[in-house]
Amino acid sequence: MNDLFSDQVFSVSDITILIKQTLEGAFYGVAVEGEVSNFRPASSGHWYFQLNDNDAAIQAVMFKQKSWRLSFIPKDGDRVKITGNISVYAKRGTYQLICESIEKTGTGDILALLEERKRRFAAAGYFDQSRKRPIPPFPTRIGVVTSPTGAALRDILHVSLRRNPTIDIVVLPATVQGEGAAAMIAGQIAYANKWNLADVLIVGRGGGSLEDLLPFSEQVVVEAIVHSAIPVVSAVGHEIDWALSDHAADLRAPTPSAAAELTCPDIEEMVAAMKERVGRMHHMVRNRIALAKSETNVFSTKRMTEYFSRRLEQAHLRSDDLVEHMRLTIQRKVVASRSKFDAFRAQTHALSPLSVLERGYAIVTDTRNGGIVKNAHSLVVGSDIAIRFAKGSARATTQSIDVMETHDREDEK
Amino acid sequence: MSFETDMERMEEITKRLQEDSIPLEDSIKLFEEGVGIARRVEKELAEIERKVEILVSPVDEEPVLEPFGGDT
Repeated sequence: MNDLFSDQVFSVSDITILIKQTLEGAFYGVAVEGEVSNFRPASSGHWYFQLNDNDAAIQAVMFKQKSWRLSFIPKDGDRVKITGNISVYAKRGTYQLICESIEKTGTGDILALLEERKRRFAAAGYFDQSRKRPIPPFPTRIGVVTSPTGAALRDILHVSLRRNPTIDIVVLPATVQGEGAAAMIAGQIAYANKWNLADVLIVGRGGGSLEDLLPFSEQVVVEAIVHSAIPVVSAVGHEIDWALSDHAADLRAPTPSAAAELTCPDIEEMVAAMKERVGRMHHMVRNRIALAKSETNVFSTKRMTEYFSRRLEQAHLRSDDLVEHMRLTIQRKVVASRSKFDAFRAQTHALSPLSVLERGYAIVTDTRNGGIVKNAHSLVVGSDIAIRFAKGSARATTQSIDVMETHDREDEK
Repeated sequence: MSFETDMERMEEITKRLQEDSIPLEDSIKLFEEGVGIARRVEKELAEIERKVEILVSPVDEEPVLEPFGGDT
């Protein structure tokens, strides 16, 4: 014994206090690994159990304030690593381990199992690049196989609404961790295919422990993805997490939010693409009209030339207005999710070259050959001609031909 | 009537309009078609509101979908 205490007689309380101070000071923040037994959750929410190995045992307790943070409930036989402090209970002269955190151990075993499976699935061709299908660029309905209450679904709904509020979402609910999860996930993938419920499927869940993510590496899930006729995007956990579903899917998304980004085309980009094409078309029609204008100059006065120029300028301005209007309107929709395009019809109507006719001009065609009459020379007295107005048309017979003087046309033959 | 098909048609129209030999009448018709498509697509994008639904039927039965309340 320690000489320091040789002459001293302690009271039970004193020696207990000394033991308490010594133990609690020395065994603070220790990590202990062992097997759980005699697990007894109390009605107070605290967990009492014993940690064993072959030759020893230690009592352990995890208080409610800590236990609710764990993603699993330990059960007898689990191998765990506990971080915590030793505490002495003076009244009974016992000591116990107060748990701060509990982790399941045996992750090494899980990783080895996953590696083995991965090799097996790869050998079966499940991960071949050649069998990956493209994700549809403009889906109208997206199926989501995940927990209906999880953060993953919330993120997907949020991001998809922001990017494109016109795409329908079908939730195929599944348990995403624990027993039965893999079968349920695989079942929902097969069900979506059987009833063709979506253009593309997102299969996934939010972050969790390696064990939590395991269902997405199970054979039934991997095979359901491989056999899915609907393209599948796998979105399991966080960026750093990998599941075998990621390898089998047509596309791997680092997170559920990213899966929504990858599957939902941005509505503003769609409008911009459409707008760009209308702009190009307008440019080309303008060129064609300019050509027609030079062709009809033989009949024109200066006034008509000016009129055409004005019309074209207006059309050009209105096209720009239209394009800007489209952009603003969709922006309002994205913000408020609702808008109207009331002015649209009138504006696009004004773009149409047919509205030139509404100003009182007409197109004359020769009924012999259906060609547009650009030169009076091409007619003879008695020629049958058709006149097209803005509304309707008429037939007429040429009574006389008067070849107009064309002082404003220098290149006239 | 998918956006993809509409975009392909717009592309075709643009190509045709580029041809020098295209008659004025045809170019007008094509342009009107193009503007019509753009107008319809704009309208659809602006007016269609997505549906969020959840599958509530058991796996061995025909699908029954109900509105999903968790939508924002």
